[in-house]
Amino acid sequence: MFPRPIEKSAPWVGIAYKVFLPIALILWLLPLIGIAITSVRPASDLASGNYFGMPSGFAFVENYSSVFKNSNIGWYILNSFRVTIPTVIGAVALSCLTGYALAVYKFKSNLFVFFLFVAGNFVPFQILAIPVRDLTLKMGLYDTMTGLVLFHVAFQTGFCTLFMRNFMKALPFALIESARVEGVNEFKIFWHIVLPLVRPAMAALAVLIFTFIWNDYFWATVMAQSADVRPVTAGMNELKGQYKVAWELISAAAIVAALPPVAMFFLMQKHFIAGLTLGATKG
Amino acid sequence: MATVTLKNAKKQFGAVEIIKGIDLSVADGEFCVFVGPSGCGKSTLLRMIAGLEDFTSGSLQIGGKEMAKVESADRGVAMVFQSYALYPHMTVKQNIGFGLKMTGHSLADIEGRTKRAADMLQLEPLLDRKPSQLSGGQRQRVAIGRAIVRNPEVFLFDEPLSNLDAALRVQMRIQIGKLHHDLKATMIYVTHDQVEAMTMADKIVVLHAGRIEQVGSPLELYHRPNNMFVAGFIGSPKMNFVNVEAGTGSSLKLPGGGTVKIDGMKAKLSGKLTLGIRPEHVELAKKTADANVSTVVRAAEYLGSETMFYVTLPDGTEAAVKADGLAKTQVGDTLLLHFPPKACHVFDPDGKTLHNGDLSK
Ligand SMILES: Nc1ncnc2c1ncn2[C@@H]1O[C@H](COP(=O)(O)OP(=O)(O)OP(=O)(O)O)[C@@H](O)[C@H]1O
Ligand SMILES: [Mg+2]
Repeated sequence: MFPRPIEKSAPWVGIAYKVFLPIALILWLLPLIGIAITSVRPASDLASGNYFGMPSGFAFVENYSSVFKNSNIGWYILNSFRVTIPTVIGAVALSCLTGYALAVYKFKSNLFVFFLFVAGNFVPFQILAIPVRDLTLKMGLYDTMTGLVLFHVAFQTGFCTLFMRNFMKALPFALIESARVEGVNEFKIFWHIVLPLVRPAMAALAVLIFTFIWNDYFWATVMAQSADVRPVTAGMNELKGQYKVAWELISAAAIVAALPPVAMFFLMQKHFIAGLTLGATKG
Repeated sequence: MATVTLKNAKKQFGAVEIIKGIDLSVADGEFCVFVGPSGCGKSTLLRMIAGLEDFTSGSLQIGGKEMAKVESADRGVAMVFQSYALYPHMTVKQNIGFGLKMTGHSLADIEGRTKRAADMLQLEPLLDRKPSQLSGGQRQRVAIGRAIVRNPEVFLFDEPLSNLDAALRVQMRIQIGKLHHDLKATMIYVTHDQVEAMTMADKIVVLHAGRIEQVGSPLELYHRPNNMFVAGFIGSPKMNFVNVEAGTGSSLKLPGGGTVKIDGMKAKLSGKLTLGIRPEHVELAKKTADANVSTVVRAAEYLGSETMFYVTLPDGTEAAVKADGLAKTQVGDTLLLHFPPKACHVFDPDGKTLHNGDLSK
């Protein structure tokens, strides 16, 4: 059996495993634990300098309710959804189409186009900030939802296309040829055969892009200004307060803001069934 | 009705010519088998007929209509892939009906045709399963069912049985034969397997390096091969080839000094030639006087019904001999062989046939 169960290996391996696993786990989770604890710390703890010690009380209700009362965070979360959902749909849909074209059709510039998509990923987006801002201003898209969504879709499609193309390329090509001989038109082949078979890839991609876009801070600050457009990552700034930084509120807001990607992951989880193509060919 | 005619069909992949000018005519309702060594272009030719590969040049007619530029779907062909190519996310029933549904057939029509195909192939109990829940043979039957429902005029099979075990292959071979008999459609079938080719074909096309070596009925190819390639390719175990020299008249000098006189020889023989004789036609000689050549047994397989001897001729040529099951010769013993002249084929140095033996005489 592979991998060999840890119980069956030498005793020192077992002991080392039992010692180091929790250490690694704690190290890895430390920032998250820190934020979780801070988010329930009473404000007085932080005022008196108790940043890392035991909290003196459990201020869950106070902190979390004050996050919603003292800021527009609810509205910003809604904004985040308004940016993220259309971007996920747009990027995944587009990349399914481009991926199909690049995976299935043989045309002269196929590889060149594919490399363009891949190369686009290597451009550091920081250097694009100023041109993109100028462009959006000229197009009248600055500080609008549409502008933000359009640019997110444009930036994500490169990676998504790489992902979908490779996944579709791995499908047995005979499936497509067989449907062609049967007289099924290309779009129906795409819709009825290829899409159902790449569903796990689409789900994975959707979760990934959802998380990317949800956590985006850079474009949110470059391309958005007003509270109408500002997503939660940028909106959290409001909690900084005028005279002091309210860490307990920022932590609580961060936890609230992190929930949707987690929820998304669990929602999509059942679609990650690999091996859907099993049984298509010889066995 | 559908005859399939290829005229000077050529196919190039980049600069490499894979199909080098094929002229072939398959009659309506004929069962035509393409055989040939791996890489000779069988699949490519079949895919050209199916419309999955373009023609570099040449023409294809199906039922008298020019098809080389016609879309695959409009050629009236159905193809069964070696890998079955079943849609994994659909049930057997959906797999069979998919093409019809996508091309706008009515539900009742699809239902009727699916039922007919399922009856023919004994698929009813499996209709609601997914391909992953089927055995290899069942998958193959579904793939064939998917071809049947479209009522094609021409069926194309690319090594459909090569993933199945021996017993299942025999069963499916019979089933496809029966299908051909029932449907009376034209079928073109690619295979590696000698037995499949010999038992199923009305007509065998032997391909070699992108060219047709010979076309004919199975027995024609067995008895009257046009050249050494076909002679060696058709028949199992393969024909023995012995280097000989032309003697006086129509006699041939064998290694070790023996001669064999060929009856009814029309061509004039001279120089170095090759003699071909099938293992099943070589006879064991009891005394030196009857023998054409004396050999040493290198290996022997006692199969009961028959014994296969693998022998070495005096010049080192290796040959196979099929003897009856009672032969007692052992490895290392001397085996005296007699070559009946009517079973001997003679080839010139280019491999062209000069003479085919005629066993019926
Ligand atoms: N798409 C392609 N591009 C370039 N060369 C190809 C392509 N398809 C096939 N070939 C070449 O064409 C030749 C014939 O291939 P083909 O698949 O027709 O052989 P085959 O007779 O079916 O062999 P097998 O019995 O192994 O299936 C091979 O040499 C192969 O390398
Ligand atoms: Mg092949």
